[in-house]
Amino acid sequence: MATKTVRFEIKRQANPDAPAVWENFELEWRPGMNVISAMMEIAANPVTADGRETTPITYDSNCLEEICGSCAMRINGKARMACSSLVDNLEQPIRVEPLSKFPLVRDLQVDRHVLFENLMAVKAWVPVDGTYDLGSGPRVFPQQQEANYPLSNCISCTCCMEVCPQFNEGTGFVGAATIAQVKLFNNHPTGKVFKEDRLRALAGDGGIQECGFAQNCVEACPKQIPLTNAISDVSRDVIIQKAKDFLRG
Amino acid sequence: MATAQSSAAHTVERGVQPLRAGQGTEFLWRKLHSLLGIIPIGAFLLEHILSNFEALKGPAAYGAQVKFLNGLPLVRVLEWTFIFLPILYHGVYGVYIWLRGKSNLVYYPWSGNWMYTAQRYTGLVAILYIGQHVIRQRFMGVQLPEHPMAAFAKVQQELANPWMLAVYIVAMIAICWHFSYGIWLFAAKWGLTPGVTARKRLGYACTVFGIILAVMGLASIWAFVGPRYPNTPENLPVSYLAAPANPGGISI
Repeated sequence: MATKTVRFEIKRQANPDAPAVWENFELEWRPGMNVISAMMEIAANPVTADGRETTPITYDSNCLEEICGSCAMRINGKARMACSSLVDNLEQPIRVEPLSKFPLVRDLQVDRHVLFENLMAVKAWVPVDGTYDLGSGPRVFPQQQEANYPLSNCISCTCCMEVCPQFNEGTGFVGAATIAQVKLFNNHPTGKVFKEDRLRALAGDGGIQECGFAQNCVEACPKQIPLTNAISDVSRDVIIQKAKDFLRG
Repeated sequence: MATAQSSAAHTVERGVQPLRAGQGTEFLWRKLHSLLGIIPIGAFLLEHILSNFEALKGPAAYGAQVKFLNGLPLVRVLEWTFIFLPILYHGVYGVYIWLRGKSNLVYYPWSGNWMYTAQRYTGLVAILYIGQHVIRQRFMGVQLPEHPMAAFAKVQQELANPWMLAVYIVAMIAICWHFSYGIWLFAAKWGLTPGVTARKRLGYACTVFGIILAVMGLASIWAFVGPRYPNTPENLPVSYLAAPANPGGISI
């Protein structure tokens, strides 16, 4: 009885200071199987390929349909979403590792808090909070909506940051996702009230100037966000903002 | 072993630090590096390759070009302000940029990532080459500002060494590569080409431009090592002895 199987090699680490070890798992193949469903199966039945019981694997996931951004991990060396990684399209054994640029929590789970810090640092929101009804917002024309829609697709998965050679502890680079959000909110008729603040923020250390235009971000982005276009546009806006600030004294 | 506690504390400290919004001066230094690469360094490279091209017309024409450049007003000030200091800054800061980047070409062998890496290696070749080139050709041996007509012979003697010839050829290609991709990068990072199509078009233009520059540069090298002007007579002894009395040098 030759049941078709799928082989996985998973990098395990019990805590941030524990040594990393690789464990092999073998699962029965099912049609349409993706990496995240395999992770769920392994977590539910943590037995290695050689029949040894182990601890259940830890990983982040939620929506299982590439909308929440939780299950980003390195699969066969490349950062991508485990939910949209179909097993049939991957070379086996499938090597699964946590993202390398973020502090490890356990196994495949990492702490991606830095992205949220960065989004806060550039005020990536539309300021509408208040104690009274502000009424309806300004009209956004369909053309503008279409331009903004791709940018609004960001799922905060941090793949763009993981694959960026400039995003590391030396530079403290802000990363493509945050820059694209600056473009999105600067384009928004109400959000643009913070435009100057956002541009000045991005000229700080670790800001947009650290981009080396290797363009890995746009290759890796699971949502096909035009990240390099956003970096180019926002770079120009930041330069102009700094020049204006300089001349205004 | 309070591993749980210490690891929780580490989780916060570890990893890439968030954006230092609006703080620091890196932006200015990085943009200065970027701008200097185009002006004046790129502009000077163009001038240098065009001037070298005069070598194809022979030792006298080449000497005349060197003489003209050395006759520019405030030439020593121009030399330090627009050539030496910008190149020194661009080179040193460029190495600093390289050291802070973390190449991942092994995992992501994409074309943009290749170019990112190539820009660093060609830059390193450029700065090492330029260092020896300036020391040996500008500050050592016969002083060309005083004896411009000895220029052809000086370069020819340098290139007579096949190793040095190889260094010049490799450096010429690396520097033309670095400059043409540098133009493309400048346009992308200063927001001149925010569209994919625009970047693609400029990519083709920069490729053609880089090839033209490199071919012109290599042709000039050929002028010194080819069979047309062998053993150019204006060699060291003649220029050392005769140049003060004979500032015009040769006129064959």
